[in-house]
Amino acid sequence: MMLSDEPYRWAEAVANRRDYIEDQIRAGSPVVGVGYEDGILLLTLSQNQQKVFEVYDRITLAGIGHSTDIEKLRQAAIDMAHSIGFNYSEDDVTLRQIVYFGLGPAIKAGFDDVVHSPFLARVLLAELDGQEGAQVFYSVDYDGAFHRHEGWAVVGGVAEADVMMGRELSGLDTGALSLSDAAGAALRAWAMGRWVGKMDEVPTDAEQLEHKAGEVDVADVLETELKDMEVEAVVLGRSQLGKNKYRNVDAEEIAPALAKFKETDKT
Amino acid sequence: MQSGGDFVDLLRQTGYRFPGENLGDVQSERDLPFEPTDATTILAFQYADGVLVAGDRRATAGNMVLYDRADKVVDLDAFSVMAISGSPSIAFEIARILEHAFQYYRRRLLQEMSLQAKLRRLSLLIKDNLPLAMQGIGAVIPIFATYDRVDARGKIYFYDALGAQFESADFTTTGSGSPAIRGAMYYLNRWGGRRFVEMDRDAAIGHALQLLDTASEYDSATGRYERSADIFPSVKTITASGLAEIETEALRELYVQYVDGEEAGRA
Repeated sequence: MMLSDEPYRWAEAVANRRDYIEDQIRAGSPVVGVGYEDGILLLTLSQNQQKVFEVYDRITLAGIGHSTDIEKLRQAAIDMAHSIGFNYSEDDVTLRQIVYFGLGPAIKAGFDDVVHSPFLARVLLAELDGQEGAQVFYSVDYDGAFHRHEGWAVVGGVAEADVMMGRELSGLDTGALSLSDAAGAALRAWAMGRWVGKMDEVPTDAEQLEHKAGEVDVADVLETELKDMEVEAVVLGRSQLGKNKYRNVDAEEIAPALAKFKETDKT
Repeated sequence: MQSGGDFVDLLRQTGYRFPGENLGDVQSERDLPFEPTDATTILAFQYADGVLVAGDRRATAGNMVLYDRADKVVDLDAFSVMAISGSPSIAFEIARILEHAFQYYRRRLLQEMSLQAKLRRLSLLIKDNLPLAMQGIGAVIPIFATYDRVDARGKIYFYDALGAQFESADFTTTGSGSPAIRGAMYYLNRWGGRRFVEMDRDAAIGHALQLLDTASEYDSATGRYERSADIFPSVKTITASGLAEIETEALRELYVQYVDGEEAGRA
């Protein structure tokens, strides 16, 4: 059967595919990236399973969706980075290359190949002090479309979640934030994204969504989720000794942000 | 199923061939006896906090001095170094492969490569280099030093030109200058009043400088402190808190104290 012989059926197949993928990843745990004074913070909540990964000295990756699909993309990114790093130099490993020539085309090919399962994943990558800037992010959607962001970036389960999470982060002075303040903002954005992802029916009308979001107590959302999830955070920190800037953030470093969060929302 | 953490496999997939593999049937014109090229002095010993590794900075070709800033103690990761004696080209290539291999393994498999595996990787690379070693132009005889966080102590390993690996209990030295100081190291450790392992950091560095100076007295391929250009030997320590390169100013003070000045002549 050649689907391309019948344009209508082809379009229908693609639309079905989108619905299917969106349905699969909608309720996942969003990922938030925020710049801070020493570099970049990537934060999410997870259930006993690593979701944020080291790709190269100054590059990190996290995703929302099927863990094995994220794993394939993670491995492809690591292979590409190390191959370039060895054959050229560490400085030649750029996030742009990984996204433009690696992940983007791979995900797009998977999405277009309608007889095989697509990548059920949206990924977020961050790069510290690369050729494109100090705090650069790329988000790659499940269809291979990628977007460059500066200062902060998010991937949630649905596009509307991204928009609402962005509201929590836009306007931040990401070059001056303390790690604790960046973590606070990221947690707030995460909770908002999680709430949108878990709605039974996400309003397509922006105003309606915003109105509903205004009634949400993000502290409540976070408190509920923290009952069976844990905050997972890593930084790419400039002050980190050596070439490798990737570091896991300890629970103690996040604790003040969590405490502050609860206080401000109760007042 | 392949776990995919082998960096050399990745390199081969991208078309990389180890220098020795390209050699084929090439034979040198003269029927050279197997003489490892190892014009240098490298030494390593256990001291109170961990391991100290030191090497002179001279690079030679026959009786020519080519370079007086060669760094023969190469960092592999935050807790291990490889000190190089032998053919610099192959040695640096091996060090570069290992540095990437350790990181690649950690990132790809989400676990640190074990010490035994690191030793094995180095051994395999030396074995791969056998064709060049047998030509008499590419032998590499490294020292691998690390701090084993599992056993909470420093460890020193030395290799032969075919890749056999041995752990050294107290100290080791390789290179053309090593015969001049091997006995001195034994003597110092046994009757010097203080064993290496009892020395604090400063005493350990001071003695390493004395030993390199001794080697350079008898071996023309070993450099000593270069007054005209102010170049000191490279000295690195590896302790529970990781790898540290001893800065020039610290070396200068200890050099004055141990080699030139008040402590000179006293063990």
